[in-house]
Amino acid sequence: MTRVSENSNKAALNFALNKAKSKLETLQLKGGSLKNVNKPSDNPIGNAEALQIDTVTSNNKQFLKNSDYALFNLNIMEKSLEDLSNILMKAKEITIAQSSDLSNATARKNVSQEIKQLYDQSLNIANKKIGNRYVFSGYATTNKPFNTDGTYNGDKGEIKIEISKENFIPVNIPGEKLFIIEDSPQKEEKIEKYNRDLASIKISTVPDSIFLQLSTLNTALENNDTDKIQGLIDRFDNSISKLITERTKIGAISNTVMNAKNQIESENVENASYKSKLVDADIGELFSDIAKQQQILQNAYKSGQVTLNRNLLDFLR
Amino acid sequence: MSDLLSIGRTGLMASKKSLETTGHNIANANTEGYSRQRVVQTTGSPIIKEGFITGTGARVNGTKRFEAPLLEKRLKSSISNNQFHKEKATQLERVENIFSEVNGESLNQVLGNFFNSFRELSNHPENDSIKSIVRDNAEFVIKDFSRITGDLENISRGIDSKIGTEIENINQNLNEIAKLNTQITKSEASGDQSGDLLDQRDLALRTLSESFQVTAYVDGKNRFVVNAEGVGTLVSAGQVQELAVAGNSKEKASNNMAGGIEVVFKNRPLSNITHRFQKGRVASLLDTRNKDIGALKNSIDDIAYNFAREVNYIHRQGVVDRPVELDQNGNMIKEDYKGKTTGIDFFAGLTDRDDAATELKLHSLIQEDTSNISTGLTPNASGDNRVALDISKLQYKKLLNGGTATFEEQYLKSISNLGVKSGKAQLNSEQSEGLLSQAQSLKEKITGVSIDEEAANMIRFQHAYQASAKVLQSADEMFDTVLAIKR
Repeated sequence: MTRVSENSNKAALNFALNKAKSKLETLQLKGGSLKNVNKPSDNPIGNAEALQIDTVTSNNKQFLKNSDYALFNLNIMEKSLEDLSNILMKAKEITIAQSSDLSNATARKNVSQEIKQLYDQSLNIANKKIGNRYVFSGYATTNKPFNTDGTYNGDKGEIKIEISKENFIPVNIPGEKLFIIEDSPQKEEKIEKYNRDLASIKISTVPDSIFLQLSTLNTALENNDTDKIQGLIDRFDNSISKLITERTKIGAISNTVMNAKNQIESENVENASYKSKLVDADIGELFSDIAKQQQILQNAYKSGQVTLNRNLLDFLR
Repeated sequence: MSDLLSIGRTGLMASKKSLETTGHNIANANTEGYSRQRVVQTTGSPIIKEGFITGTGARVNGTKRFEAPLLEKRLKSSISNNQFHKEKATQLERVENIFSEVNGESLNQVLGNFFNSFRELSNHPENDSIKSIVRDNAEFVIKDFSRITGDLENISRGIDSKIGTEIENINQNLNEIAKLNTQITKSEASGDQSGDLLDQRDLALRTLSESFQVTAYVDGKNRFVVNAEGVGTLVSAGQVQELAVAGNSKEKASNNMAGGIEVVFKNRPLSNITHRFQKGRVASLLDTRNKDIGALKNSIDDIAYNFAREVNYIHRQGVVDRPVELDQNGNMIKEDYKGKTTGIDFFAGLTDRDDAATELKLHSLIQEDTSNISTGLTPNASGDNRVALDISKLQYKKLLNGGTATFEEQYLKSISNLGVKSGKAQLNSEQSEGLLSQAQSLKEKITGVSIDEEAANMIRFQHAYQASAKVLQSADEMFDTVLAIKR
């Protein structure tokens, strides 16, 4: 039989009480915050994972914002291309009609005014602005991309945006790429308009462009030059097919953005539920644990009541 | 017959002494460190009388305390162990609080916001108000870096001052032990054991064990010697080697922080014994300060330094966002009325990794004028967002720890490490608490006072006393009988 002294008894009781109380305290802290993880040591790995999820979530928020901005830009781009191809279709129709012998010099001259309008419309599209930035001038968004004679002031900059982690998509087409048909074999001799009255005629070669096509058509109609008018049909076809290709590309990019958005949204839901699993307390389990721990503490009190302050002297009378 | 009287008297004396000791035990039932005592009682040396060997009653040889030297040793080392882990758990919990989400956003979030503001800027590179947001987010990053290292330094300072008080207490304790040593030597010169003084000395040793691991023994010259494990002799009989703390310059401090103190022998300021303590609070405090907090601070500094360096590297290649003149060859002129047009740092104040997180700040050019925040590489092209994109890409680049971790990963790894350490310390603290209370209870079982036992003894000794008195009474009556013969 082991000997029991007052202090050994007290030490045992103290230990039991302290243990029960500190466990209850931890549980109550969890009950108060309803979180399983209140500090890194509660679950070192889970805590880091939860923090990482927070970053992913806030990045995703930004990516969704970027995606919406990208879609906005792409839609404007697409609308512009649509308008532009409509203009070229119309120009092509006129070209076909006016290249036939049924037309005559006067009629051609009258129609040339319409072409002038089409030229101005396409110039308007080319100089389109969103807010304070030009859409078709590459990186130089504060420069007006095209002069009235169709020369390009922008650069070749392709502005990219991150729409999901390390997924960059272009949201603009530099005007040069869209309006100027570089690989075209056609190099037109362009007569500087303002020098025409002078004896010296300055001739320069410029690459073929939508503007050049329209202005050439305009001059040809004015001059009743049927050969030139006929020659333009193929060039318009070239431009139209180029626009269609670009539109398809933009459509594909828009699809990519939409897919990325959907992916991000479903990732957000998954992350939220995973984070909840990591850090949120299981309420049922928690409160049954608290009740259990309270019972343990009460039992410790009761057993203390029996042994403390009671000894042989109480029974010696 | 006179023998009978003297035998009765010795019985009476012995019982009285035993009752006294019982009383002493009961009185000290709750005295800390008290070991119960008992009377050492033998029979008196027998004499030969009328051819018979006759007993001469009982003799009291003094009192002796119950001892359990092995358990006492175990108790002391349990105390040192428990205090080490307990203190570590307490301090690490304080460190952990710096990183708990309760305080708002954690550093990785703030860094994420910084990178996201650059993503937003890449959408609208010509927008000046977003540049202000970028600048604000950069300030938040700077603030959070300095908050973390500031808090770490505060805790480290707190530990320093705690070590200071600890050393004072230790010195007091050492002196008390030396004083008790002298007293014990004096009072035991008579050959008697002074249980109460021994108890006090044991108690003082136990208090000392809270600070560091202590061994105590009696040397060949009968001197009581107290050793701090790993450090050396601190008390030898009446002689004391006191300890002291010494402030240090940042370069020499073992935690690499300004004002970090070191423990030395008193009057020998160059005897650095900081690393030599084992177990107990002192070792725990020093270990936490130098290893745990130090490592954490280094890691945060590393993140801050690399973060600023990488952002600067990219930002320097950019061009300011305002109209810039070109020379006749189309090259950009590198100075304008506002200063540099390219090669501008985003962050400033860093020369090396040391204290990078504390010293990090915005470059004055960025601070003064948002047009100095570069977004692109081409001059006069405000839609160019390549620099902004490249800076936001840094979030995913594995630049730290030999190219194995991103800023966030490195940060989270440090926190996880801290969490693991702190969790382990809490577990150790709980376990050592259990071992300590076990050791305490074991020792108390042998040396502690049990009131029940003492009550029973009291009755026993009282009865013995009464019986001895009866012996005297009988002797008295016998005398009376003999004297009555003559009447």
